[in-house]
Amino acid sequence: MSKTFFYLKLAVNNLKKNSKAYVPYIITCIGTIIMFYNMCFLASAKTLGLISDDGSLKMILTFGTVVIGIFSAIFLFYTNSFLVKKRKKEFGLFNILGMEKKHIAKIMFWETVLTGAISLSAGLAGGILLSKAMILLLFKIIAIRVTFGFEVPTLAVVITPVLFGAIFAINFIYNSLTVRLSKPVELLKGGNVGEKEPKTKLFQGIVGLLSLSAGYYIALFTESPLQALTLFFIAVILVMIGTYCLFTSGSIAVLKLLRKNKNYYYKPKNFISVSSMIYRMKRNAAGLANICILSTAVIVMLSSTVSLYIGVEDVLRTRYPRDITVGSSFISDENVEKMNKIIEDTTDSLGIERRNVLNYRYLTVVAFQEDSRFQLQGDSLRFKDSAALFFMDIDGYNKMYNANKTLEENEVLLYEYRGRLPGDSMTIEDLQLRIKERVPAFEGDGNTSAMMINSFYLVARKDDLQKIIRVSDPDNTKGKDLAYFYGFDVNADKQTQIQLATEIRKGLKELGISYYADGADLSRESFYTLYGGLFYLGIFLGLLFIMATDLINNYKQIAEGYDDKERYEIMQKVGMSREEVRKSINSQVIKVFFLPLLAAVIHIAFAFKVITKLLEIFNLTNVPLFALCTLSTILIFSVFYVAVYTLTAKTYYKIVKG
Amino acid sequence: MYLLEVKNLKKVYTTRFGGNAVKALNNVSFTVDEGEMIAIMGESGSGKTTLLNMIAALDKPTGGEVYLNGKNITVIGDKEISSFRRENLGFVFQDFNLLDTFSIQDNIFLPLVLAGTPYEEMNKRLTSVAKRLRITDLLSKYPYEVSGGEKQRTAVARALITHPKLILADEPTGSLDSRSSDELLKLFNEINNDGQTILMVTHSVKAASHAKKVLFIKDGEVFHRIYKGDCTNEEMYQKISDTLTLIATGGVRNE
Repeated sequence: MSKTFFYLKLAVNNLKKNSKAYVPYIITCIGTIIMFYNMCFLASAKTLGLISDDGSLKMILTFGTVVIGIFSAIFLFYTNSFLVKKRKKEFGLFNILGMEKKHIAKIMFWETVLTGAISLSAGLAGGILLSKAMILLLFKIIAIRVTFGFEVPTLAVVITPVLFGAIFAINFIYNSLTVRLSKPVELLKGGNVGEKEPKTKLFQGIVGLLSLSAGYYIALFTESPLQALTLFFIAVILVMIGTYCLFTSGSIAVLKLLRKNKNYYYKPKNFISVSSMIYRMKRNAAGLANICILSTAVIVMLSSTVSLYIGVEDVLRTRYPRDITVGSSFISDENVEKMNKIIEDTTDSLGIERRNVLNYRYLTVVAFQEDSRFQLQGDSLRFKDSAALFFMDIDGYNKMYNANKTLEENEVLLYEYRGRLPGDSMTIEDLQLRIKERVPAFEGDGNTSAMMINSFYLVARKDDLQKIIRVSDPDNTKGKDLAYFYGFDVNADKQTQIQLATEIRKGLKELGISYYADGADLSRESFYTLYGGLFYLGIFLGLLFIMATDLINNYKQIAEGYDDKERYEIMQKVGMSREEVRKSINSQVIKVFFLPLLAAVIHIAFAFKVITKLLEIFNLTNVPLFALCTLSTILIFSVFYVAVYTLTAKTYYKIVKG
Repeated sequence: MYLLEVKNLKKVYTTRFGGNAVKALNNVSFTVDEGEMIAIMGESGSGKTTLLNMIAALDKPTGGEVYLNGKNITVIGDKEISSFRRENLGFVFQDFNLLDTFSIQDNIFLPLVLAGTPYEEMNKRLTSVAKRLRITDLLSKYPYEVSGGEKQRTAVARALITHPKLILADEPTGSLDSRSSDELLKLFNEINNDGQTILMVTHSVKAASHAKKVLFIKDGEVFHRIYKGDCTNEEMYQKISDTLTLIATGGVRNE
């Protein structure tokens, strides 16, 4: 009992004596725990389901949690290993003063328990507080009905201590092994033992290059949004592996190459920075890769959620080309007349004017595409080859565009909405159609934009449309017919629009056919809930990651400062002026700081296309808007970054100056 | 003209809140001729290192002047001081002060690179210096891979490569074993014979016995000086020992 107390007391004393090193370490642990808890919180919060009941959001968040967990483990392990290296001398002294290694291990055990307990309790408390504070804050910033709120998910509260407990345990095992495996003399020399120059890891570099190129390739050459959805994660993982490998081995290889170039290397400006960067990269590459990946994540998340939120109106327009949209998926000519009458009577009776009226008969067929051949039957799992064919009748088209195009039998006009259809003819099963003309974009039923597969808009004669129906269903057992769309804008407030849509529905119900009647305003609210929720999530994670990157960066630089102090003293003795020291420090800190940001921007440049594809799934096709959002996010992020840089460089210089 | 002239040098340290003033140096004057090898001896705390710091322009004196080649170095501005130091002085320290991140070769190059010397010129100088100091085979190694003696020879090479007017050595044998010490001192004699002026601060009698002139400092003042003249190293050793004994036992001044 008293012995345990003795070791505990020693451990407390040690931590106090080493507070200069341990305070930043504990703060880093707390920060990491806060971040992990918050990710866990988001991934397991029940109320999150209210934003979107589809599992993909949850999947993304769970994925994020796993990634952050891995980050935390690697990062804390590194931080710890440098800490213990610095303290080797101290342990050596204990050893020489008569303490056995197992006693040292006991002290280390208590130290770990103490730091772990402090970090975990403060981290968890901080995490819970932060998650609530952020929600409160964001409630104020964006006045949307965010539906998730004040809960403390049990899962998050359980997983966080388990994970970090394990990390601390591993660190403890590592620490006691380093002490156990070295002789007292080695321990005494400990910190002063020269660090070996890092080796160039060719294999790792190649792996990094390959996976990065593969990731970039996927990002650049994925055409269909649906494919993008599945491949995106693969690309993300590949790029992450690539970033890690290239930061750790590529950077060193490049620096060594620079060192070989005598005329470059032996310049005052480069001499010191290149040689010390080699060591700096060895120590920091993993941390920098972390920062790079986090930065990329922040920028992607913020820019896409912000542009979704800003673009809601756009999205609504794409999804609902007119304020009021009415239609039926198959309807006879006779019923079309009746439908028209109901719509017109209802609007008239409410005293509303119909504007931009758009009505036409159409037919939507989903088929499996092989170049210009389409098959209606097939393996339904081959989703990525499927295409939607959207046929509009020629009369409707002419009416809509005030055109008087004519078509012979089996002739079509074509517009490629999404995907490619080469040649000048196409076949549907055995029906051959000649593409008479490729026409510019035309408006169609908004439902197509919600689909993620290849989509083609075609114009054909009504009798040909009937033929296509028969091709798809030879006996016409299902009583299929052409579909009908009737859309128009109104100049009325939201209430009236909702009333109108409801009235029209009532009228159509009596017809006894399948129908729909939507007002854009009806959907607006649900759109805002979804995209507002995503927006909120984006900002939450964005802030979280910005804090994390800043914390990591700051800590790393300050830790470096203590290491570099001695080296700069030597250089000053040998004839380096203070100004030169300052310049050299600046150039190195700048490199270390901005390399991750630069890499993140490159990642984003490559990812831009695939993200626009992903946004199409959310109906956002406004690429310039997204580009603008991305640019401004990068800008804002850089401002934060530069602010932290200035602060860090100042502290660093102060430390080095002594 | 003397190569180095130290005139009435004074240094007073005051604690931060104006507490006790400690006189580290009091009216120290001496001269060094070109091509001389001089040792400054004294016990720990006698002010040797303070004196060296003044001569190296690493610290400013409270009073007095230091002339190197006729130039008063105590008044050189902060901007020029580094390049002045680089061009005129070479340093050898007790703890070597080599940079771990540089190979032996790059450590030697450091002052030349800082001065902006072209690579060909550096390489030419390196070849001769390395040969003289017998470290040619070590050039591509790193400081942590070589012995203490080899480290100190590297430091000497770094000091020599700029062709300095004066080499300042602060306890150069302090971290070396006796064999390495002998070797280093022999080396110092060799380069001194080639005309290099060396000023060495030490409390090793053996190291001092290799010098042509030995200055004894006690409590911040020059207490005594002896000249080697035609003595052998052994005779000089005896002379120094006697002086030290004198200082330690009865030689108390101002009391």
